[in-house]
Amino acid sequence: MLKVNQLSIEINGKRIVDGSSFFVPRGRITSIIGESGSGKSMTISALLNILPAGSKAAGQAFFDNKDLLAISNKEMSAIRGSQIFTVFQDALNSFNPSVKMGKQLYEFSGRRIRHSVAEFHLKMDDILNDLGLSKAIMEQYPFELSGGMLQRCMIACALYVRPRLLIADEPTSALDTLLQKEFIELLKGLNEKQGTTILLITHDLDIVAEVADKMVIMHKGKVVEVGNVAEVFERPKNAYTKRLLESRF
Amino acid sequence: MKSRKMLAFWCIVLGIIVFSTVFSGNLAPYEPNDMNLDEVYLSPGDGHLLGTDHLGRDVFSRLLGGGKVTLTVATVSVLLSLVLGVLYGGFSGYVGGIVDTALMRLLEVFITIPSLIIILSFQAFMQGGMWSMALIIGVTGWLSTARIVRSEFIRLKEAEFVQMAKMFGTPIWKIIISHLLKNSVPAIFVVTLFNFANAIFIEVSLSFLGIGVPPAIPSWGNMLYYAQNDILIGAWWIGLYPGILIFITILAINFIGEALKDPERRRFSA
Repeated sequence: MLKVNQLSIEINGKRIVDGSSFFVPRGRITSIIGESGSGKSMTISALLNILPAGSKAAGQAFFDNKDLLAISNKEMSAIRGSQIFTVFQDALNSFNPSVKMGKQLYEFSGRRIRHSVAEFHLKMDDILNDLGLSKAIMEQYPFELSGGMLQRCMIACALYVRPRLLIADEPTSALDTLLQKEFIELLKGLNEKQGTTILLITHDLDIVAEVADKMVIMHKGKVVEVGNVAEVFERPKNAYTKRLLESRF
Repeated sequence: MKSRKMLAFWCIVLGIIVFSTVFSGNLAPYEPNDMNLDEVYLSPGDGHLLGTDHLGRDVFSRLLGGGKVTLTVATVSVLLSLVLGVLYGGFSGYVGGIVDTALMRLLEVFITIPSLIIILSFQAFMQGGMWSMALIIGVTGWLSTARIVRSEFIRLKEAEFVQMAKMFGTPIWKIIISHLLKNSVPAIFVVTLFNFANAIFIEVSLSFLGIGVPPAIPSWGNMLYYAQNDILIGAWWIGLYPGILIFITILAINFIGEALKDPERRRFSA
């Protein structure tokens, strides 16, 4: 589905990610794990072509045989519009504080796949219901909702758009443990029901153990180990991976 | 809570002043320019609530009519400076880079020139009336608005929700209007209020110096101007009331602006 080959990222001449390669298989949950500053989020930014100014990406990233790093902006926005959906760490900051949720949810879901507002309301009401959110949130502002609710709203959009690839960049870091578990269940459900391929960025090994099929371990900008979760947990090869696994509670 | 009550109080004060000047045509007992030479320099009392001036004109009626002129000049100029400031600051902040640097240095050059001097010379050369004054106050008053809008745009355009909207292919005009501009409204509103107080002050100063609103039209400033001589003969009421009204109006606006500046009212701070 997504094949990253020798991806390097430089910001102002400093190398942040160095020759990392990994593969995200279709219909599975792949997790990138690593400590803060290991280049996980930068890798994602590079894939989505949203790197900060002054940075350069080299290498290839094939998404269905299209190199994400080489295609035009127009093609990129088409892919970001309907095929890849991204959930970020802090859901509160992902929404415009002065626009009601209903309008924003439409922007994030219905409009992207050219649905009318009426169609959107019809479909979205069911989705919100399934996620345990009331219809009333459509008339509320983001700061009136909790972090967990907002994160669920994001997932609602993902459920609506039915992207082929869902990228979640530390989606649970801002949530408490109970909500984390709930959210992970949602991701699992999304993967099982709709067959969505998920790329999950996290620094939480427990979450990886819980949901992921494959894992990619990054350390200081390099991919140090790639493999099936069960195998890596059983027989870690790299020294850093061993240390990481030992550090679990 | 305390600041809430303060805000409400000053809003009511300003509301009364604005309301009574807007409806001065109905509320004033006399025409502001009606002369009655049998009743010159009447002190405040029956018939003439705040007394009459050297031509027997009712001070209270002139006060209301003059307020209308002063507040109109201030409003028009503030709206003009708002538009100019939002356009200049918004463009500078959104584009960023070298353009932003150049525009900001240019703005700093403008700021170093005291606006009162520009307005003064413009009015003196053009022999301008009420509308030309509103125009020139507006054209010189947008600098602070532009600065605020620019800094808000720079702050907001890095925000995650803006990045996200961009990523999802939201059109640029929509991002500018509903993401950047809409979230800058609180700050723009506050700076505009202070600009408004400043515009009133400039109108009053110019008219007091005799080069603002023409003498035929009453304004708070030129009422003060004509009251200078009257004070010498003991007619204190002609100058005192416009003075008090100018004072209270500017005070009210400043208190309202100060209360709204409170960062706790901001929804988004990053």
